[in-house]
Amino acid sequence: MTDVDLEELPLLETLDHLLDRGVIIAGEAVISIGDVDLLYLGLNVVLANVDAIIRTSQPKK
Amino acid sequence: MLIANEEQELREALSFTDSMVPERISADAEIVENGLAKLVLSIIELVRRLLEKQALRRMDAGNLTDAEIERLGSALMKLEEKMAELKRSFGLSDEQLNMKLGPLKMWE
Amino acid sequence: MKAIVIGAHLLRDDIEPVAAAVGVGDLYLSTLEVPDDQPLGDRELLVKVAGLRGRLLDVATFVAIRYGFALSTPDDALAKCAPHLARWKRILTAHREHVEMTLKVVASSTLSRPDRHDFTSGAGYLRALHAARQAADVDPQFREAAERVLVPLAVRNHWQHRDEKSVELALLVPRDRLDDVKAAGEELRRTNPEIPFLLSGPWPLEVFADADRE
Repeated sequence: MTDVDLEELPLLETLDHLLDRGVIIAGEAVISIGDVDLLYLGLNVVLANVDAIIRTSQPKK
Repeated sequence: MLIANEEQELREALSFTDSMVPERISADAEIVENGLAKLVLSIIELVRRLLEKQALRRMDAGNLTDAEIERLGSALMKLEEKMAELKRSFGLSDEQLNMKLGPLKMWE
Repeated sequence: MKAIVIGAHLLRDDIEPVAAAVGVGDLYLSTLEVPDDQPLGDRELLVKVAGLRGRLLDVATFVAIRYGFALSTPDDALAKCAPHLARWKRILTAHREHVEMTLKVVASSTLSRPDRHDFTSGAGYLRALHAARQAADVDPQFREAAERVLVPLAVRNHWQHRDEKSVELALLVPRDRLDDVKAAGEELRRTNPEIPFLLSGPWPLEVFADADRE
């Protein structure tokens, strides 16, 4: 399911290379199941998004 | 350089990224009222998918013990079950959770 | 301010003036300074960082660091990167004239995703998920053609299953063969009109920066 128009393919591909590859530098957020460490930094991006969404939707004083 | 063949089919088949990438967020109050449940569930689903993906990568690398494989597999099954329960509780379908926060699709 | 880390480079001149350089051991990290409360998931920021990666790659090859790592102080750099430095220096030296290209191909045969209700053990389910993903296979004729025209241009190559629906060939290619790679891609498209694929690059060291790939 996609509604991206044809010119965007290079952008999608570029962002895929930015977000889904590369050396993972261990950060503070580590998600493990039992003793198996699985996730390092990915969660920071998502948490940052939630923060932005909540902040921008609060009424301005 | 980008050479693409059968672009339409390509886009439909390839999931370019699992990350949630919003555009500039509008200060729309509706997002808060109607969207929080969806948002929270979407995040849990994202985490579930990432965990699954990483578990599969560890399988590729072949460096898991049998006990670890059992534990990871069970946890993933339980996570899926939990997601299904939560969706039922909130009355949200898979379609409704497929939020598009911008031109990048989030998942299939 | 926090510094979003882009990549690890051999020389300071490989980074400046395109981005800000932070010394780490013998190497340097390229960074982009942003306000502390800047959300990392901002699409405009992502596009900006992606643009910087491209410009940095024009100067010299570097080790790509997964987006999301940010430094609050320069000391963070050494603390977090120390375990990787020796290996990075080795591959940056060995592959200074090389860049990565990727060929993504939509699988022609796939197994549908297993249903968790069919399994009583976690191991059974996980193994089935894994098998379903490994089952994604490229049309054998296309695979053979791709290898025939692309692999001879590369110093390293590696096929991998990144997801259930596609397979990817990563190639480490000398910069001066990029025109040949482009020609090979065009030939693949001409001779295989029905196979959906995407040949893209150049990219910094990503697949070949992995510890398992050395």
